Amino acid sequence: MEFASLQDLYLHLISSAIRRCICSERLCRLSVLLQRSPASDPPLVRISISDTGHGNCIQEFQDLKCPVEGILAETWDGIVYVRTTNISDPEISCYQLNLKENVTTRKPIRLPSNIKHAVKFSGTEVCLFVSESVDVLLAEINCLFHQILILKVPNIAMEVVADGQDTSGSLNDAVFLENLFSGSSFTASTLDLLKLGLEDFVLRHGSSSMCNSCFPNRDELKSGGGMVCEDKHKITKLVVEAAVVIGEISNLTNNCFGAGCSDTKVLCFKDFAPCSISEAFLKALTFIDWKRHGLTLECAINQRRHALLKWEQTPLSFHIHIVVHYYHKLVANATPVVQQTRFDKKLISKAVQLALEDFKNKHAGFLLSVDNLKISRFAPDLAKAMAGLVLYSNDMDFKKECLAILGLQPHQSGGEVVEETIKKKIISVIEKNDQRPQGIKEVAHLLFKDGRQKLQVVDNDNEYCMDDFDPMNL
Amino acid sequence: MEGNRGSLERIEVMRKITELTRSMIVELSNGSSRMIAIDRFKSYCSNSLENCCCRFNLSEGKDVLTLQRESHVRRLDVLLRVLLIIQQLLGENRHSSKRDIYYMHPSIFTDQSVVDRAINDICILLQCSRHNLNVVSVGNGLVMGWLRFSEAGRRFDCLKKPNSAHFIPVQVEEVIDITSAADYILVVEKESVFQRLANDRFCSRNRCIVITGRGYPDVPSRRFLRLLVDVLALPAFCLVDCDPYGFDILTTYRFGSMQMAYDAKYLKIPQLRWLGAFASDFEKYNLPEQCLIPLTFKDKSRTEALLQRCYLRREVQHWRLELESMLERGVKFEIEALSVHNISFLSDEYLPSKIESELTLLNS
Repeated sequence: MEFASLQDLYLHLISSAIRRCICSERLCRLSVLLQRSPASDPPLVRISISDTGHGNCIQEFQDLKCPVEGILAETWDGIVYVRTTNISDPEISCYQLNLKENVTTRKPIRLPSNIKHAVKFSGTEVCLFVSESVDVLLAEINCLFHQILILKVPNIAMEVVADGQDTSGSLNDAVFLENLFSGSSFTASTLDLLKLGLEDFVLRHGSSSMCNSCFPNRDELKSGGGMVCEDKHKITKLVVEAAVVIGEISNLTNNCFGAGCSDTKVLCFKDFAPCSISEAFLKALTFIDWKRHGLTLECAINQRRHALLKWEQTPLSFHIHIVVHYYHKLVANATPVVQQTRFDKKLISKAVQLALEDFKNKHAGFLLSVDNLKISRFAPDLAKAMAGLVLYSNDMDFKKECLAILGLQPHQSGGEVVEETIKKKIISVIEKNDQRPQGIKEVAHLLFKDGRQKLQVVDNDNEYCMDDFDPMNL
Repeated sequence: MEGNRGSLERIEVMRKITELTRSMIVELSNGSSRMIAIDRFKSYCSNSLENCCCRFNLSEGKDVLTLQRESHVRRLDVLLRVLLIIQQLLGENRHSSKRDIYYMHPSIFTDQSVVDRAINDICILLQCSRHNLNVVSVGNGLVMGWLRFSEAGRRFDCLKKPNSAHFIPVQVEEVIDITSAADYILVVEKESVFQRLANDRFCSRNRCIVITGRGYPDVPSRRFLRLLVDVLALPAFCLVDCDPYGFDILTTYRFGSMQMAYDAKYLKIPQLRWLGAFASDFEKYNLPEQCLIPLTFKDKSRTEALLQRCYLRREVQHWRLELESMLERGVKFEIEALSVHNISFLSDEYLPSKIESELTLLNS
């Protein structure tokens, strides 16, 4: 794996650290320390990424590659220092690797180990020196960690510490500190945590503080989740999780998204770290049957850190937020090895589709399919005609009976009340139909006759074509 | 004036409307999207005779309208709107034409055929005929000859001027006191032929009743003809052009139309006999070549489709043979072609000779 940028490099290292923590199944800490080294010329920043997860992981670095040319090669010499130990190891193994060297021939240089003095712990520290501003690095890593919070990994406390910032000059500032997520239990599924995390992210719009103007409270957000697995391998399985959060916007013109803006941001995580958007990911998004959820996709744009979906029907009265996370999950008892996770377009489409279905099942009336939206537009007319048939009847017993069936009292026989009640029932049936898997149809009862008659659901969408006209009926 | 029978029928139809409405409200309240099931009727099919059930006038399955498809809901919307209008018509015992109904929501109905279909659906759902809904059509058919009857207090005395055309009454169920001195009923496809017979004073010279539906016959014309045949028990003959359209009109009189197959038992005239024009008449009456028109591709396809109809194989095999003969010859002609030698040839020679041989056949 060759890194194209510094960002790709530390994204990978953080992602690996998180996965090691998850594999350990213990409470862990992940620290990123940025330390200025004024003695060097040009001035370098020491980046240290340490975790208390599963250790002894030097083999994870075997395939990593730093380009010999380009911006990354100019800002980094390709050297990484790795200190790693497993819980049962008596010492901490130390290595030096030059990632600019040929992957097939290079070997890690073993450095003198550190004694653990019979203390049992595990962990890994990766350290490298780059020629970059601490402020720039800090801003990027900070932003990155805000996104990682969406995953709400339950067993990791995270911190980012900057030592010797460019401007303030302060020392040992903990600029980012996230304790173990107290609101969730360890039994919560990763999908539930993802939904919760996306809700928090939406409430804060990705920053550290809440936005009170768009969504004053969490109740205004609705969410759904979907997960698909592919277990072709014996040890691990590819898991794709997707969460959808929709917030109704009361003020269409004055909100943080911009007046009339209904675009949807789709964030993508790979192996517990944000990943840049690929063309394949965009394609996976365009494969989704959005019309089934009442949306017509105009286009999907790659914004590098997220995908932007533009809808044909704007402005929508709500905002849709989507996050996709794909990763390898260990399924058998084996030595955990952080490995490369491949991208599967179909699974990603499927996971988002499932999240949208889950959303619909939980929140009736939302994301009605384009077809059912069209059908629901008939509800007022149908209700009016049916109410008329009840109310204009001369049969008082029939009227009373119908009101009772509709759950109305005899004094509630006003046209508007009856019409509204029938309309609500029609809408409720349409919403229920929308939640039903496609292709399942009900069959009507016989009205006046009994008998074993062949029933058929009319399936003709061009029912009013002129061919139906028959002069014989004049 | 509405008779007791009419009043009872009206109350019964209104009861069925309430039953239909109740069933829809119950379905909705149960959270079901199934709204109604409409029987599907056919007046003919192209199945083999063993697999054909058209003759029993039974429904061939049902169209189930649900809230799951836009096309269903659209059809339901129209149906309920029309049903509401009909409920009001029946409640106030007023009548309305199909066209009137169309103009009540023209932007929703978009076309007359949409209203027609809804009315047919309602007839099937309520198991009644169109006139039971107080929906009438504008009279189109004409009648003349040896006939006298009353309709809703109006007296129709065709006997005074047997060669004068009268409009067939719209409210056929109101027709009473039918008397006739005719020997047979002659049905002609076209108004031009009807007028030819009137000009030739055909009814003065022949004791008959002549009727035309002016092309494809409307419901009142067919119901009126059926009424005359039932009440007067007279033989009925039909004269149509020798082309697939003429033949289709003939089958509409005799077997009913596909669109109103649900009501065919009240509209068809099984006793109707085909008088002509046959393809063989061309040689028999020595028509010149220029009177013959080649069958178009459309004519041929239509004729082939007609030949597949089950009732031709089951009930009138000889009609089928005549139709096949026309297809083989590849030509068609209009009744008016019979006037090529003499303008009154139709009433002086053709019809008398045809009718005489048909009556002889009937009496033997």
